[in-house]
Amino acid sequence: MAADQDLITDVTDVEPVEIPGRWDFAFTYFAGNAASRFFAEIRENRRVMGTRCPKCRRLLVPARSFCDACFERTTEWVPVSNEGTLETFTIITAAFPGLPEPPVVLAYVTLDGADTALVNVVTGVDCSDIDAAAARLFEQPRVRLSFVAEPQGRMTDFSFVLAD
Amino acid sequence: MTDLFIEGVALDASWRDRDRSLTDLIFDAVRAAIDDSGQPLEGIDSVVLAAHDLVDGRSLSSMVTAPAAAAYLRDEIRYGDDGAGAFAAAMTRLEAGHNRRTIVAGWGRASEHDVDAVSHGLFDPFFGRPVGLDELAVSALRAQAWIQRHGTAGRDAAWRRRRERAARNPRAVTQSGVQQSAPYPLRPEELPVWADFAVAVVMSTEPAGVKVAGMGQSSDPYHLGDRDLVGMPALVDAAGKALADAGAALSDVEVVELDALTGFDEALAVEALGLAEPGSAFGYLAEHDSVNPSGGCAAGYCAPAMGLARIVEATLQLRGTAGPVQQDAPRRALATGSSTIGSQTQTAIVLEAA
Repeated sequence: MAADQDLITDVTDVEPVEIPGRWDFAFTYFAGNAASRFFAEIRENRRVMGTRCPKCRRLLVPARSFCDACFERTTEWVPVSNEGTLETFTIITAAFPGLPEPPVVLAYVTLDGADTALVNVVTGVDCSDIDAAAARLFEQPRVRLSFVAEPQGRMTDFSFVLAD
Repeated sequence: MTDLFIEGVALDASWRDRDRSLTDLIFDAVRAAIDDSGQPLEGIDSVVLAAHDLVDGRSLSSMVTAPAAAAYLRDEIRYGDDGAGAFAAAMTRLEAGHNRRTIVAGWGRASEHDVDAVSHGLFDPFFGRPVGLDELAVSALRAQAWIQRHGTAGRDAAWRRRRERAARNPRAVTQSGVQQSAPYPLRPEELPVWADFAVAVVMSTEPAGVKVAGMGQSSDPYHLGDRDLVGMPALVDAAGKALADAGAALSDVEVVELDALTGFDEALAVEALGLAEPGSAFGYLAEHDSVNPSGGCAAGYCAPAMGLARIVEATLQLRGTAGPVQQDAPRRALATGSSTIGSQTQTAIVLEAA
C-alpha cells in the first residue's frame, strides 16, 4: 500500500505529450458507368456530355446515372456546347499540394444547352492584379473549353478560357 | 407528440490547450452539461454523438470518444454530420419513447488537424478534389454570385458589429489559430475563427426551462453546379419545417443563431430565411444583434460541432444567462446547423422559453 506522500493528486506539473500523426491510406474509387462514360467522352472526343432527366427534362452536367431531384434514372446522353457563361468565380491564393500554383481561378460555368453548371479552373487569366482580373470576370464573360494535349479522362483534362 | 426540453448545456471553446486531450475536452463539456442539468448520471439513458473521423483523425472515432461522453453502459449512436442533426436524431428517439433523457455531444478540434487538407479531402475524388474545391472556395463562389447581384455596400459595418459581438461573448475564441488566405472575394475578417469545440446538451421528456418546439431537416443536391448557391433552398426548407412544427412564424422568432462557415455565408442565410430583403443582408446584420448575438463563426468554428453550439447559445438566450451578449428576454429562438460540402444538409431547431 502506497504511503500518503506517494499519492499523485496534481497532474498539471508535467510536459504535455504531443504525438504527430498522418493518414496516408490508398483508396480505389470506382467512378461507375456514367462518370466513366463522361470522362471517356472528354478523353476520346473532347466533348462534355450531360444526361437528361426523363421527368424534369433538365440536362444534367456532368452526366450522371440519376437525377437526385426527381429520383429517376437518366437514359438520354446529350453533348453540350464547348462554350458557356461564367456565372460566378473565386480566385484561390493559397497553394495546395497537387493543384496548380496560385493564384487559381475557379469558376461555375453553365455550358450552352446544360441546365446545371460545371466547376473547373479558368486558365489564361492574368492574375498579376487580382482586382483587375476579378473586374474582368465580374462581367460574367463567355468562356470555352480548352483541352490538354493528352487527355487522361479526368476533370483536369480541360479548363475554361475566356472566349473573347 | 411528446414534449421535449433542454435541461443542461455546456460549450467548451479553446485553442490548442495542450493540457487536455480530445477526450478531456469532451468529458469536460459533457460533465458540465450534466451538472448544469441537475440530473444524476443514472437518470440519463442514452447518448447521441456528432463527430467526423476525418476531423478527429481517428478511425471509428466514437469508439475512442464515446466513453468520454458518458456512453458506458448506455444506448449510444453516432451521427456523422453536424451536431444539430445529432440533436434532431436524439429528438426522434425521445419522441418515439425509446429514450427518456439523452446527452447530445459534438466536437471538432481544429488545432489537431490541417483544416485546409481536411476541407479539401471532404470533396469527391472525381469532380471536386481534382479541380481544387474546398469549403472556403464554395463560400467564395457563393459570395461572388451574391456580389454580382447586389454589390458590397455595408459590408464593413456588418462585420465590425459581428466582431464586436464575438468579443463580448465570454464563451468565444476570437483569434483564429489558423492563418488562411482568403479566396477572392472573401476577406480575412470574413473567414472562420478556427477553434477547438466540445459542446453538449442534456435533453429530456421531463419539463425544464427551455422547450424544443420544432425541428426541420433538408438537403441540397450534391453537385455544386446543380445548386442555387445564393438561395440556400435546403436551409429555407429546413427552417420552414421547423417553424411549422412549432406552429410559429419567422416573425415570432426573437433570436436567431445561424451556423455558417464564413461571414458571407451568414449574410446569405439571413436573406434566404427572409429576415432581410435580397441585397440588404449587410445592413440588416449591422443593425440587428438578434442574429447571431454570440458572434457566429467569428466566435470560433470547427465542424461538426457548430450546429449544437448554435443550439446552446440559443438556449442560454432563452434562459437569460447568455452574459454580455444577452438579448432582451427572448421567448423563442431559431438555431440552425449545416453539414460540410457547402452546407449541403441543414437542420433547423425552434426553441421556446417554457
